[in-house]
Amino acid sequence: MDLSNNFKNPVLINFNLVFAIVMILIMGFLTSGNYANAMDAYNYYAVSFLIFGMMQGAMTATNCFMERDIKKPNLRILSSPCGKFPIYFSKMLASFLFDYILHLLVAVILLIAGINLGGQNVGWIFLMMIPVEFSSAALGVLFCCIFHCEETASTILSLFVSVIAFLGGAFFSLDGLGSTLAAISRISPVKMLIDVFFAVIYDNNLSGVLPVLFISTAFSALCIFGCQKTFRAEDYL
Amino acid sequence: MEKLLEINSLSKSFKGNLVLDNISFSIEKGEVLCLLGPNGAGKSTTINILLGLLGRDSGTITYDGKVVSRSHLRAYKQKLGVVPQDLALYEELSAQQNARFFTSLYGLRGSSLDEAVEEALKFAGLIDRRKDKVKTFSGGMKRRLNIACAIAHHPELVIMDEPTVGIDPQSRNHILDSIIKLQADGITILYTTHYMEEVEAISSRIIIIDHGKIIAEGTKEKLKENIQSEKCYHIELEEGTPIPTEEFYDVEGVKEAKSDGNKIDIVSLRGVENLDRIISLISDAGAHIRNIAGEEASLETVFLKLTGRKLRD
Repeated sequence: MDLSNNFKNPVLINFNLVFAIVMILIMGFLTSGNYANAMDAYNYYAVSFLIFGMMQGAMTATNCFMERDIKKPNLRILSSPCGKFPIYFSKMLASFLFDYILHLLVAVILLIAGINLGGQNVGWIFLMMIPVEFSSAALGVLFCCIFHCEETASTILSLFVSVIAFLGGAFFSLDGLGSTLAAISRISPVKMLIDVFFAVIYDNNLSGVLPVLFISTAFSALCIFGCQKTFRAEDYL
Repeated sequence: MEKLLEINSLSKSFKGNLVLDNISFSIEKGEVLCLLGPNGAGKSTTINILLGLLGRDSGTITYDGKVVSRSHLRAYKQKLGVVPQDLALYEELSAQQNARFFTSLYGLRGSSLDEAVEEALKFAGLIDRRKDKVKTFSGGMKRRLNIACAIAHHPELVIMDEPTVGIDPQSRNHILDSIIKLQADGITILYTTHYMEEVEAISSRIIIIDHGKIIAEGTKEKLKENIQSEKCYHIELEEGTPIPTEEFYDVEGVKEAKSDGNKIDIVSLRGVENLDRIISLISDAGAHIRNIAGEEASLETVFLKLTGRKLRD
């Protein structure tokens, strides 16, 4: 039902599908002269904006959980015998599935357009997307539990995601801007993901796959624990 | 009659304010118990505690002879149906989808779920609109769907928190008729409201609550009996001639006189014929009477007598 609601939301679909492709095209075009050849710019931004899109999946989750029009029926579930775990977990699951399906579609469109996503290693890319997408959704739901409100959660998350995306090199790499910025860039999980994705795609190097899977899964578990502790019915009465 | 729900010595404070002050009451199987009180009286707080959404400072809740504890909460909630005060429906989904979703939370699946949803939508008079999105519904229809979603799983106790807020009189009457039908089907109902007319129409028993305390309890006949010895006159004067209410106390039988601009409410002992004396007093003061109405004992006057104010100020 949550998944159905998400797919009936044109804003969410455009944000997760159309926006990513448009940004890849725009940034690829604008920076085509900065790379070895035009295709490399598009290849770079295809991966970086795919990852940026996955991070922004947190906002899908906040919308799915506490968007104004669905907050009350979502919280009505608290009166049922369900308990609170199914309430927030179902939103995580629905947001994850929604984002994963759409981002998978973006990846397929990119593949058809000739973007290099690792050739026979593309399966590893799709596999890594799973826990990363879920951890974004979990983070979005956690922020809702903490701030009790979609608007506040989305505002703060949007800022957070933009900062880590910038630091991680989603818009342009900071590696060439000096050692200090390069070091700061390493704080960002987006940087780690971009490095691992490129290693898989261009170097046939799968050593980063397990850490990505493990860290994302552990982060999701932390977020679920946080939701269990912070989600209280009385905060919404 | 057998008690279904018992609340004993329930108290609750918010940031030092005592919102519920040691309240105790019970609901018997098959009755419609109305919790009547103005806004801020503690009705919704009581409901939220009963639903396990809010903790309590002290007191116990017993359902069907078993104390409701954390370990027993799920089984207890399984037997409840809840009609929240706010409309809590997914506007982008149809009536049927909403009813199916909320009913499935109580464990119904497959054909039993389909049958229950159909029955509930028929009960609410929405079966012909079951495939339509809720956002196309009127306020009254949404309220009816709100109720359908709460009763489809055949609960033993339905808790309705001001279910008729903001709807037209026709829809309200439809809802009140539905409640009477539910009671006829053996369902027990706890109904909160601040509308006297609703209580008059449906209640088996009434609890009047104000400032977190139960101030009266009983059937409407019993509550009215308490003030049967009195009658009330409502007098409306032409503008511009306020009358000191103290003079009315000199009239035999008058117990209370309150004025509010050009309106005077006089409470007098039944059996004492003093209306002509009251009218003379007003005429002597140079005022002209626009309207006089006599009032029999009603729940409104019961509430006024008990609290000193009107139910909806």
